[in-house]
Amino acid sequence: MEDIKTSLDKILAKFNDSVSHSAPKKLTFEHLSDSFNDSGTIPKKRRLSQSFEDNGLNISLNTSNVSLNSSAAPPPSPWETRRMKADLIEARTRISKLKQEVERLHKLRQESETLYESRVSELKKQCEFSSNKIQDLEKHMQLLRKREHAAKQDLIKAQSDLQQQKHGYEEVIIKLQRAKHEVEENARLVQNSMANELGEYKRHAEKIELELELSCDELESLRSQMDDLKSKACCYDDLKLDNEKVNQELENANQRIKELEFEIASYNDWKEITKNSQDRLLSIPNMDKELERLRSNNKHLQELLGNKLLLEEQVYDLRSRLEREEGARSEVVALQVQLKHAQEEVKEWVKVAQDHCSPNMLVSPLALRARIEELLQHDVLMASEKNTKASESKTMESELLDYKQKCEIYSKNMEELNVALKRHKAFKDRVQKKLLLVSKERDCYKQLLENFEKDLTISNPIAPDLSSTENQLKTRIEMLEKTLVGYKDMCASLEKELNTAKSLPNSDPTGDQSSVNMSVDANATGYEHFKKELDTLRMENERLRRRKEELELELEHRCLKGDFNMEKYKVVHMRLNPANEAYENADNLIEKLQAEIERLKRKNKKLEEDNEVTQARLNETTNITMNFKEINQLRGELESMNSKMKKMKECYKSASMEFREVVYMLFGYRIDRVGSNTNYKISSMYAEDPDHYLNFRLNESNMLDMLETPYSATLKSLIETQLVGNKSLPAFLSALTLDLFQKATITLS
Amino acid sequence: MSAQATKNCITLKGSAQIIAEYLKYGINSILFQRGIYPAETFESTQQYGLTILMSKDPKIEEFLKKVLEQTEEWLGKNMINKVSMVITNAHTKEVLECWDFKMNAELGDGETIDPQKLTSSKELKRIQNEIRDVMRQISATVTYLPLLDCICTFDVMIHTLQTCDIPESWDETGPAFIQNAQAVQLRSFSTGLHKVDTVVNYKMSS
Repeated sequence: MEDIKTSLDKILAKFNDSVSHSAPKKLTFEHLSDSFNDSGTIPKKRRLSQSFEDNGLNISLNTSNVSLNSSAAPPPSPWETRRMKADLIEARTRISKLKQEVERLHKLRQESETLYESRVSELKKQCEFSSNKIQDLEKHMQLLRKREHAAKQDLIKAQSDLQQQKHGYEEVIIKLQRAKHEVEENARLVQNSMANELGEYKRHAEKIELELELSCDELESLRSQMDDLKSKACCYDDLKLDNEKVNQELENANQRIKELEFEIASYNDWKEITKNSQDRLLSIPNMDKELERLRSNNKHLQELLGNKLLLEEQVYDLRSRLEREEGARSEVVALQVQLKHAQEEVKEWVKVAQDHCSPNMLVSPLALRARIEELLQHDVLMASEKNTKASESKTMESELLDYKQKCEIYSKNMEELNVALKRHKAFKDRVQKKLLLVSKERDCYKQLLENFEKDLTISNPIAPDLSSTENQLKTRIEMLEKTLVGYKDMCASLEKELNTAKSLPNSDPTGDQSSVNMSVDANATGYEHFKKELDTLRMENERLRRRKEELELELEHRCLKGDFNMEKYKVVHMRLNPANEAYENADNLIEKLQAEIERLKRKNKKLEEDNEVTQARLNETTNITMNFKEINQLRGELESMNSKMKKMKECYKSASMEFREVVYMLFGYRIDRVGSNTNYKISSMYAEDPDHYLNFRLNESNMLDMLETPYSATLKSLIETQLVGNKSLPAFLSALTLDLFQKATITLS
Repeated sequence: MSAQATKNCITLKGSAQIIAEYLKYGINSILFQRGIYPAETFESTQQYGLTILMSKDPKIEEFLKKVLEQTEEWLGKNMINKVSMVITNAHTKEVLECWDFKMNAELGDGETIDPQKLTSSKELKRIQNEIRDVMRQISATVTYLPLLDCICTFDVMIHTLQTCDIPESWDETGPAFIQNAQAVQLRSFSTGLHKVDTVVNYKMSS
C-alpha cells in the first residue's frame, strides 16, 4: 500500500509540475506502469498523436519549405499554383483534422484525469481506512501481548504453587507412612499383650470351672436337706390343722352348752305359760256359758233394735199422715169457704134464672141455657139484620153519591148547554148582522147592477142629448153617492164588527173565523201558520245541524279512538301473543287459587270442628281453658302429688310391714294376700313346714270362707271342734297356734 | 340503517323497514314506560340519539320479531291502516290502553305512479330526528297517563285491508274498545312514503 501511496504521490507531483508549465498538461504514467497495465495504450496513442503532429509539422515544414522554395524559385506556373493551392487546402484540412484530434485527445485526457482523481480519492480513503485498521490491530496486538504476558506469569505462579503443593503432599505422605509404621508396631505390641492375657484368662477359666463343679456338689447336698425340711413342715401343718379342729369342736361344745342352758331357762318360762294356759283352758266352759248368755243378750238387743226401728218407721209414717191430715183440714176449710161462695153464686144464678125464665117454667140451668141460647140466636139474627141494613145503607149512600155525581154532570152539561146557547145566540146575532150586511151588499150590488143596466140602456139607444146626458150624469152621481154611502156604512159596520171582535175575548175563535173578515183572518192565520212553520223548520234545521256537528265530532273522536271501518279493514293479530298467554296464566292461577281456597276451606272447617270438639271436651272437664300456665301449674301439682303419693306409699308400705310384723308377733300368723283380691294365705309362726298354710276367702257378704289346702286336711279334728262346734275362726286359729306351739316345744324339748 | 338510502332515496320497502324499526323501539319503550313487565327484564340501547330500554324476555323478543316482520311485509304493499298495541288487564281482559300507530300512504317524490317504484328523497337523518321527537313524547306520556296498578299484558293488532291474506299462526280478531276513553295524539313523522300518526287512547280514571 505504501508503494501505491508513494507512486500516487509521485504522479501528483509530476502532474503539478506539468501544470506549472505553459505547455499543454499531460500526465506521465511511467511510474504507474507497474500498477496499471492497461494504461499503456494511452502513451501509445499519445505517441501516435505526437507522431501525427510531427508529421503535420513535417508536412507544414515541407510546405513552408516548398513555399520558401517556390518564393525563391521563379514564379510558378498556374498548374503549379493550382497544385500548391490544392496542397494547401489539403494541408489545411489535415491541420483542422489534427486539431480536432488534439481536442478529442484533450477531452479523453480530462476524462481520464477525473477518473484517476476519483480513483485516487477512493484509494486514499481505502488507505486511511486500512491504516486505521492497522493501528487498531496493533493496539489489539499489544493488548494480546500483555494478556499473554500476564497469562505466562500466572502459569509460572501456578507451576510454583503446584510444586509447593507437591512438596507439601509428599511431606504429608511421609508423615502418614511414619504414622502407619508406628500404628503397625503398636498393633504388634497389642497382639502380643493380648496373647499373654488370653493365656491368663484361659487359666482363670479352668480355675473357675473347678470351682463350679464344687458348688454343684454343694447344691445337691443342700437340695436333699431341703426335701427333709419340707417333709417336716408338712407334718407340722397337719398338726396345726388338728389343733384348730379341736379348738372348733371345743367352741361348738361351749355354744351347745350355752344353748342348752338357754333352752332350760326358756323351758321354765314355757312351763309357766302352759300352766297359765291350762288355767285359761279350764275357764273356757265358764266363758262359753258367758258367751251363750251374751249371745242371747245380743239377740235380744238386736230384736229390741229391730222393734225400735219399726217404731221409728211407724212414727215417721204417722207424722207424715198427720201432716197430710193437717193440709187436708186446711183445704177443707178453704173448700167450705168456696162452697159457701158457690152456693151464694148459685142462688144468684137461680135468681137470674127466675128473672129470665118464664114464670110458669121450672127454674133450672137447662131452662136458663135454653133461654140464653134463644137470646143468642135472637142476637145472631139481629146482628145479621143489622149487617144487611148497614150494607143496604151503604148501597144507598153509593147510589146517592152516584146521583149526586150525575146531578153535577147534568148541571155541568146544563151550564155548557147554556154557554152553547149563549154562543149560539151570539152567533145568531152575528149571523143576523151578517145577513143584514150581506143583504145591504146585495142591495148595493143590485143598485150597481141597475145603474149599469141603466147606463147600458142609456148608451144603447144612442140619443146624445145634452140634458139627458147631464141627467144621466146626475143620476149616476147620485147613485154613485148612494153606493158610496152604502160602502161607508158597510165600512163603519165592519169597523164596528172589528172592534167588537177585538173586544171579544179569544174564547171563541171559531166565531171569529166565521165572521165577516174571515178572509182577512184566514190570511193572517195563514201567515202566522207559515211563520210558525218557518220557525219550526228553522229550529229543526238548527237542531239537525247541531246534531250533525255532534256526530261529526264523535266520528272524529271515534276515528281517533280506534274505531274504524269494518267493511274496509279487518283486525289481525298473532295467535300466540303475550296477552293470550297472560290470560291463560291468569286463568290457571285463578283455578289454582280456587282449588287452594277450597282446600283451605275444608281444612278450616275441619279445624273448626276439631276446635268445637276440643271446646266441648274442655267445657265438660270443668271448663278449664287450656292455658299453658295452667297446664304448667297442673303439671307441677301433679308432680308434687306424685311425689307425695310416693312418700305416702312408702310410708304405708313401711307401716303395713310394721303392722304385719306386729300382727305376726302378736298373733303368731303371717297373713298374705294371694292372687285375686279376696284370697288370704295364713301361715303360722310355729308351722313345721313352710307348706303348712291355710287359705281363706272373703265372700260377697263379708264373711270368710275357709278353702281346703293340703294342710287343712290334716286338721279335721280342730276344724270340727272349733269351726263347726264354736263357729269361731279366731278360736280355731288360736287353738291351732297352741297345738303347733306345744308340738314345737315338744320337739325342742 | 339498512334502508336503501343510496343517492338519498328511500323505496317503499325501506320506508317499511324504518317504520318497523320505529315500532320495535316504540313498543319496547311503551312496555318499559308503562311498567307492563318488570324493569329488570329490560336493557338499555342507544337509538335515535336516545337511550331506549329493550325487553330481554326471549318470548317478547320472538313475538315482536315475528309481528314486525309481517308488518314490514304488509307495509311494503301498503296494506296496513294502522297498528295497535293494546294493553289489557291480564285478569279481567279489560282494555286499559291502546296505542295506535296509523299508517297513511304518501306519494313521496311523485315521480312515478307505480306504487312499487315510489321513492322518497327525504333525508334519513331528518326522519330519525322526527322519530326521536315521537319517542320523547312517548316517554313523556307517563306523566299524564293513569297508573296501571294491576297485572297487565299487551297485544299487537294490525288493521289490514280486507283483501289481505292472513298467514298461518295469525287470527282475525275484533277491534279493541275502551270504555270512557280519552285520546291524545302525539307527533307524527313521515318517511315521505308513509306518514305515521301515534295516538294513545286510555281509560279515564273515574
